[in-house]
Amino acid sequence: MTSILSLIARRIFVSVAILVIVSALLFCILRRLPVDPAAMSLPPNATLAEIEAKRHEMGLDLPLFRQYLIWLGQVAYGDLGISIHFRRGVAGLITSTLPATIELAVLAMLIAGALGIAGGLFMFHVRGTAREAVADAGSIALLSLPEFLWGLFFILLFGVALELLPFTGRLSSGFERPVITGFLLLDTLLMRRLDMFWDALKHMILPSLALGLAFSPTIMRVLRSSLIDVYQEDYIHQARLRGLSERRILVHHALKNAILPTLSLMGVQFGFLFGGTLLIEVIYSYPGLGNLMVDAVRNADLPIIQAVGLAYCVVVLAINTVVDALYVVLNPKLRVT
Amino acid sequence: MSVTIDRRTALKLGLGTAGSTFLGDLAFAQAKDAVTIGWPSDVPSWDPNQRFTPDAQPIFKLVFDQPLDQNEKLDLIPKLITKWELAADGLSMTVELRDDVTFHNGDKMTAEDFRYTFFERIKAGHKVDTANSWRKVTDIEVTSPTKAVMKFNSPAPTAPQWLAFLGSFMVPKAYMEKVGVEPFREKPVGTGPYKLVEYQLNSRIVLERNDSYWGPKPKLKRITFDIVKDPSARVAAIQSGQVDLTINVPVREVERLKREPTLAAEINPITRVILLQVRNDLGFEDANVRLAAHHAIDKAALSKAFYGGAAVPLSVVATPGTAAYLPDFKFEYSPDMAKAALAKAGFSPEKPAKIKFAATNGHFPSDYDIARAIQQMWQKVGIEAELETIEYAKYFELNRGAKLPEATLYSWDNATGDPEIFTGYLLSPKMPFSAWKGMDVGQKVLDLFEIADYNKRIEGYRALNKIAVEAGATIPLLQSVVTVVRKKTLNYAKYENGWVLASSMDWS
Repeated sequence: MTSILSLIARRIFVSVAILVIVSALLFCILRRLPVDPAAMSLPPNATLAEIEAKRHEMGLDLPLFRQYLIWLGQVAYGDLGISIHFRRGVAGLITSTLPATIELAVLAMLIAGALGIAGGLFMFHVRGTAREAVADAGSIALLSLPEFLWGLFFILLFGVALELLPFTGRLSSGFERPVITGFLLLDTLLMRRLDMFWDALKHMILPSLALGLAFSPTIMRVLRSSLIDVYQEDYIHQARLRGLSERRILVHHALKNAILPTLSLMGVQFGFLFGGTLLIEVIYSYPGLGNLMVDAVRNADLPIIQAVGLAYCVVVLAINTVVDALYVVLNPKLRVT
Repeated sequence: MSVTIDRRTALKLGLGTAGSTFLGDLAFAQAKDAVTIGWPSDVPSWDPNQRFTPDAQPIFKLVFDQPLDQNEKLDLIPKLITKWELAADGLSMTVELRDDVTFHNGDKMTAEDFRYTFFERIKAGHKVDTANSWRKVTDIEVTSPTKAVMKFNSPAPTAPQWLAFLGSFMVPKAYMEKVGVEPFREKPVGTGPYKLVEYQLNSRIVLERNDSYWGPKPKLKRITFDIVKDPSARVAAIQSGQVDLTINVPVREVERLKREPTLAAEINPITRVILLQVRNDLGFEDANVRLAAHHAIDKAALSKAFYGGAAVPLSVVATPGTAAYLPDFKFEYSPDMAKAALAKAGFSPEKPAKIKFAATNGHFPSDYDIARAIQQMWQKVGIEAELETIEYAKYFELNRGAKLPEATLYSWDNATGDPEIFTGYLLSPKMPFSAWKGMDVGQKVLDLFEIADYNKRIEGYRALNKIAVEAGATIPLLQSVVTVVRKKTLNYAKYENGWVLASSMDWS
C-alpha cells in the first residue's frame, strides 16, 4: 500500500512538472502562430486603433515570458481565459465538455480491452494452426483502418442501412439531459432513469465501438506475443508437470504475467484513443472536448486550444498514473516493503 | 404478385430483426407538430447581439425578433417596428414600435428596450458585435413608449436594412440589467415565436412554441436542432430519418438524394456571392492584367463542375433579384480577349504575368477546387498564379494589414441584398472587407455612403457595379447556393437569402 501511495505521490509531482513544461511549450507555440488574438476577438470591421487597444487590454504587448506568468497565475486560480469565439469563460466550456469525452473514451477503452484480450487469447489459441494466418490477417486488417473510417462505416451500416442505432448527439430528442456530474451514464443511473440510461448508451455504442475497434488489434497482438513469451518460462513447464489443466495454466499463471505489458500498452493507447475522439466526436456530433477543439482550431480560438491541450495532457497523465499503480498491484516484484 | 427483396432489404430484415430485438425500435418518426433539423453549426452564444454569425441567424430569429424583417423576396417589412422614416440627410431615423409585444418573461417591450439594445448596452461596454454595426449611433431619443429617434454622427442610409440584419435582435433591458449578461446567455429571453427549453453546446437546441406570441403563431410546437457539423453525417441523418430536414449537404449528394422516394432535395441560389477580391497594385497594378484574369474564367464551367450548374454566373457583385443587379450586363468569357489584354501589358503564355492567389479550403463548398480550376484557366492565357491556402479566420487580419495577395477567392454573404453591403463594403477603401484600395472606384463608393435617398443610392450602385467590373476592381464569379434536403411532406418557405426558418414549416 505504501509503495502505491509513494508511487502516486511521485507521479503527481512529476505530472505537475510535465504540465508546466507542456503549458509553456503550448503557450509559446500558440503565441508564435501567425494569428492575432486581438483582431480575432473583434468584429471584421474593427479599426486598427480598436485592435491595438484590444491587444493592450489582453496583455499581448507584454514580453512573452510575462504573458505566460500572468496566464499561469490565472490558471492556478482556475481561470483559463475567455474564449475568442464564444466570449465566455474557457474553464466553463472545458468542464461542460470534458465528462462527455472521458465517458466516451473509457467506454471505447473497455471495448478495445475486451476485444483485444479476447482476440489475443484467440490468436494465441490458434497459433501454429492453419487459422493463425487468418487471425493474423484479420488483426492487420483491423489495424489498418483508422477510427474515423470505422465511424463512417458504422453510421452507414447501423444508422442508415439498418436504422438500428442513433448516431447524433448523446440523447434522443424528448429526454431532458440531467446535469449532475456531467457523466451522462452515471447521471441517468443516479436519477434511476433506466430508459434514459439505455438511450444514452445506445448513442455511445457506435462512436465508442469505432474508437475501440481501431485500438483493439494492437492489444491483441501484444497479448499474443506476451503469452508466447510467458509460455517459454520454466514455471509453465513445471505447471504442466504438476498436471494442471491448460485452461488453469493459462488463466492462473500465464495470463496474469502476460497481461502486464498489455496493461502498460493500454495506458499508452488511452492517450492516443483520447486524441482519436477529435474526429469521432465531429462525425457523431458528440458534444465533447474533441468537438470543442475542432471548433477552436477553425476559429483560431487560442485560449480554448491552449486549455484543451492541457486538459488532454492532464487526462493522459492521470490515466498513466492509474495504470502504473495498477501495475504495482498486479506485479509483486515492484512492491517495496 | 411477386415480392422482390434486394440485398439491402435482406440485410435489413436479417440484421435488423436481430438488432431491434436487442436494441429496441428507434422512434425516428416525428410527431406532426414537431420537427428535427440537422444544422451544420451551433450558435456562438445566446446573446444574439454578440457575434455576427450568418448561420445562426435562422435560429436566433425563432427566439428573438428583429426590429424589421424581410419577406421571401427580401423586401423590408415591419416586425417590431411598424413605421420607420430615415431623414433626408440620413442623420436620424424615426421609428414606431408595436405596443402589443411581450418578452418571454412577460415584460412588455417598449422603446426603452430598443434604446438599450442599440445604444445603451454598447455604451456600457458589452462585448457585442453590434457595437461595430451601430457605431454611428450617437443617441436614441425615446419620445414615447412606442416611439424613438435614432441619431447618427454621419449619414446611415442602410440603417433600416441593418435593423433586419446580423445581430440586430431586440433584448429586454429590465431582465438583462437584473440578471447580467452571463445569466442572460444561460437563460435567454426574447420576444420571438419560440422559447429555448434545452440547450447543449455543440449538440442540441430544443425550442418550444411561445403560445403568447404577438405575431402569427407557427404551426409546429417543438423544434429540435441537432448540431451535425460533418456533411456526410448530415446526409446519413436525413437518409436514416433521424432528422427531417438538413442543409448544406454536398451538391453531388443532392442529386443522389433526389431519387429517394421520401425525400425532396433542392439547390437554392442565395444572396451570397463568390468572387475574387483583387488588389490594385503588385502584379495586378495594370488594369489589363486584371481584366485578362476576368476574361479567362469560364464561370459556367465552374458552376457545372462544382455546383451542378445551379450557381448562376455573375458579371457584377450582386445577385439576381436584388436592387443593383444588372441583368443585361455581361462580362464576356473569352480566352482570346484575355490574351489580347495581357499582350497590351506585355505578357503572353510564353512570358506569363506572375501573381499570387489565395483561397480558403473548406470554408465554402469546393472553394479550393474552384481556385485550382481558375489557376489552370489562367495558365492557358498567360497568367501564372501561385496558389496558397489561407484560413478563413486569417482572412480579415491579412486584409486589414494589406497582406492579401493579388487575388483572393472569397465568399460574401449579404442577407439584405442591399448593394451597399455588396459592392459598397467590398470596394470601400476604408473598410477591412476590401482588398481594393484604389480611390478611382473607392471615392465613388465613399460618395454613395453619404446618399440617404434610396432610389438615388440604388441608381448610383447600379452604375458603380458596371464601372467596378470594367475597371477590374473586382471579379465576381458565381451566385452561391444552399442545399436543402427534407422529407417530402415537410414544407418550408424559400427565402432568397437562404434562410431556412422553422417558424415557416409545416407538415402536409
